[in-house]
Amino acid sequence: MINATKKWIFLKISSVILVPLMLWFLFNLVYFYDKSYDEVFLFFTSQPTKFLFSLFIVFAYFYSALSISEVFEDYIKNEKLKNVANKSLYLFAITIPILTLLLLFKLSL
Amino acid sequence: MIDKNPLSPHIQIYNWHISSLISISHRITGILNIIIITLICFWMAFLFLGHTNYELIYKFFGTHFGKFFIVSIVWSFSFQILSEIRHIFWDLGLGFELKTSNITGLLVIFGSFFLTIFIFILGRSLF
Repeated sequence: MINATKKWIFLKISSVILVPLMLWFLFNLVYFYDKSYDEVFLFFTSQPTKFLFSLFIVFAYFYSALSISEVFEDYIKNEKLKNVANKSLYLFAITIPILTLLLLFKLSL
Repeated sequence: MIDKNPLSPHIQIYNWHISSLISISHRITGILNIIIITLICFWMAFLFLGHTNYELIYKFFGTHFGKFFIVSIVWSFSFQILSEIRHIFWDLGLGFELKTSNITGLLVIFGSFFLTIFIFILGRSLF
């Protein structure tokens, strides 16, 4: 199987997983965005929110990295620039969720 | 060696159709959503800084701009959800006919606004 096919399959699987997670997050977001520190803290640190939010973050960055790299593929002609853009994107898509998950689990301690 | 990999069609010289509007909007909202999710991660990080620092966020969401920001987030995600569902149907081989494609395109545009309102009504009243 060629890389482009693998990428497409991963993109589709992550999008199917992400749709219900996005809906779940949006329903909660409109509820808690204007709530006090204690309520928002409780939201992020209680289960099943902690588990679902972690999944949401991981899949959202995974999906976004794959789909934005498609945009780079379509619009950046210079191979070197495309490689730098892709590597920066993947680094960003790995670092931010890891830091967020670490913070989330530290918050719950 | 000459790079023969074709780049995306020149969007400036084609007539705009519903499908092209949805396609470019899908990409723009996709990029916006990753920025939004990163901001949400920073928002969560503010919790780590304690009660006093969180007041900044609390006050921001109390303003009209803060509320507009949340509505925009919900719309951007709603658009992405509906557009992605359209893509999933295409991947299953459904909805390629021009008429169906135009109808589903319109459903994505108008549906994203309805879904935004629906999420707000249900989200504010359910929990």
